[in-house]
Amino acid sequence: MKQRALWSALMVAALAVAGCGSAARTERPPGDSQQKQQKLVVWDWKSGEPVAAAYIEKAKADFAKRHPGVTVEFVAQPFDQYYTLLGTAIQSSKGPDVMLFNGGGQIRDRVDALLPLDQYVAEDKSRLAGWDAFSKDGKIYAAPVTLQGHPIYYNKTLYEKAGLDPANPPKTWNDFVSGCAAIKKATGAACFALGNKEGFGIQFFMSGLGSGVLTPQEYDDWIAGKRDWTSPRVKRIFELWKDAGDKGLNNDGANSTAMFTDIFRVFETGKAAHIIGLMSDIGHWKDFGEFLPPDKIGVMMAPIVTDGAAPSLPYDGGIGYAVAKWTKDPGLAADLVRSLTSTDALTAFYSKAGAIASDTTIDVSQAGPAVATIASEIRTGKPALHVALSSKTLDLMGRLSQQLLSGSTTVDKAVEQVAASDRES
Amino acid sequence: MKQRGRRARTAARSSSHGARAERLAPYVLVAPAVLIIVVLRLWPLVLGVNFSFTGDGELNGSPVGLSNYLELAGDPLFRTSLRNVGLLVLLLPVAVAIPGLLATFIYLRVPGHRVYRSVYFFPAVLSPVIVGAIFNLMLGFDGPLNAVLGSIGAGPIDWLGDPGIAMFTVVGVHIWATFGMALVVFLAGFSTLDASLLDAARMDGASLRQIIWHVIIPSLTRTIQFVFVTTMIGMLTSMFGLLFIMTSGGPEGSTYLPEYYIWHQQGQMNRPALASAASTVLFVVMLVVGLLQITLLRRTGRQD
Repeated sequence: MKQRALWSALMVAALAVAGCGSAARTERPPGDSQQKQQKLVVWDWKSGEPVAAAYIEKAKADFAKRHPGVTVEFVAQPFDQYYTLLGTAIQSSKGPDVMLFNGGGQIRDRVDALLPLDQYVAEDKSRLAGWDAFSKDGKIYAAPVTLQGHPIYYNKTLYEKAGLDPANPPKTWNDFVSGCAAIKKATGAACFALGNKEGFGIQFFMSGLGSGVLTPQEYDDWIAGKRDWTSPRVKRIFELWKDAGDKGLNNDGANSTAMFTDIFRVFETGKAAHIIGLMSDIGHWKDFGEFLPPDKIGVMMAPIVTDGAAPSLPYDGGIGYAVAKWTKDPGLAADLVRSLTSTDALTAFYSKAGAIASDTTIDVSQAGPAVATIASEIRTGKPALHVALSSKTLDLMGRLSQQLLSGSTTVDKAVEQVAASDRES
Repeated sequence: MKQRGRRARTAARSSSHGARAERLAPYVLVAPAVLIIVVLRLWPLVLGVNFSFTGDGELNGSPVGLSNYLELAGDPLFRTSLRNVGLLVLLLPVAVAIPGLLATFIYLRVPGHRVYRSVYFFPAVLSPVIVGAIFNLMLGFDGPLNAVLGSIGAGPIDWLGDPGIAMFTVVGVHIWATFGMALVVFLAGFSTLDASLLDAARMDGASLRQIIWHVIIPSLTRTIQFVFVTTMIGMLTSMFGLLFIMTSGGPEGSTYLPEYYIWHQQGQMNRPALASAASTVLFVVMLVVGLLQITLLRRTGRQD
């Protein structure tokens, strides 16, 4: 027994000293690209959904026209496990040639495994919006398919019942809160539908309302990476979050209600008047349409909380296709990415799934007031505040936001911790 | 004479050959099993421990010494996850007592014991994901359980949203979902129980409590120990599904367990090396717990 213990101790010591090898596979020299590639494998979590079928078909057809001999295989992974599976593929430098990414932290954390696409997508740059979310250090790593943002949706029926004008949503925070009080009195509905079980609620809140709190200069600095965590306006965002909880603006049990997708049902069924939702995927105007007719859903700009703020629509590239570094024929894979972002394909995605596509040339005038408002704000919109933060900071912020709601920490302490995490990364 | 000598020599040679074959045979025969364990278990383990001493991201592959372990020690989330392991150990007696008590009632033939026997086992066939989804609905803030509480005048409880309650809720659901197995083991133990002892106790006028305490529990010592060990293993290794579905580690990170932490760091935070370090710590914890349990079992085995 003693000897065994000695051996294990020796082995641990040896490993500690050695510490060689790596948890993620180190880069491998590119494979033999002489032989012509006949098959491309795409990983995503969208292609299995019925609403995306037409989109995938159009993209495939477009690609087949240009490269008749090449087969494309779409592998739809479950989203819950997507980045875990992708992580494993990246570690072994084997796997899909083309893969889908969420913009922001998810792709920026993994650019080591991706091919810069600048030279391939130059022609698409002005047609598509949302490139920033897929860029790091001035290089583009994926082409945007959808735009993801956080408009504030409101239920016009509840506004009417409370005697408010649904065509003129409140412009300031005070009006907004008093409007909510009227709605609560008339209908019993909460002001915000908030699901913070996963800790995502604060991200939506920060981005949805942030442009009504920060000055335009502060906002741009934040996005550019110069975040002043000592600014009273930054702190105001977190105070607002806590106040909304303390004053009962949120639905009950926010910390145990899942953002995906329980909270969207709360809004749809008229139990809350507002929700800071999404523009694509789910939690958007078309998703709500199951219970709420499109003409009863409005989109408002962030109410002005502090003077000098200029509300804008917060949005970024939502999802986009990237090319793996280990693909044999980068040009071929990049061409597939271009097919996946062609106007035809994206139009199909918009009309079937209701996603706000990255292509600014698509006509959305038929889809109702919410989409019209969103489309009109794209030009002046800015990247969302939370997307600029690292996934580690967002993770921490999620837990702190739950503590703020339950009262087990203070705004000052929470801001301090988020700031420390942000400076570190 | 000469002939016989040669024959003897050949026999000796072939027998020495046979002896060597006989000596090697066991090694050859166990080789496949050993190889599988070494290649698929021990080698990955060594690799994992090795990775835990390397860095993530830009430091990928370069040795960083103990910095991953220091980061773990400084991470309140990881400390919470280890504290929760401690909590599970503390809750173990409850998890064993419930099936034990119910098995006793079934053994003592309470009215309807046949129905109970099958009903109790039923949740054990459900996957944790299904169980989690069911209880998510039941325990939601506006769910049926709170509605029932409300109708008797008790305030709603945020079962999965209150950091002081959520871990107990999840453990409770885990016990509900898995106690059927332990119950079966207990019933098997009861079948070896000497019925004449019970009859004798009854003749002597022992109460139910006295029968349980002085007759049943002493006769079932080994079964109880076995259930302790298996329940412990179950609690430490198979809570992931429930946590994933019911709380996602929240609220406020209060329901993290090491397994969930490892998954989170590897899959969500893209920190495989840090995850390796956490796995190594979990491995050591499990090793200690396992060795303690083996010692315990051996000691009681000797007593018999």
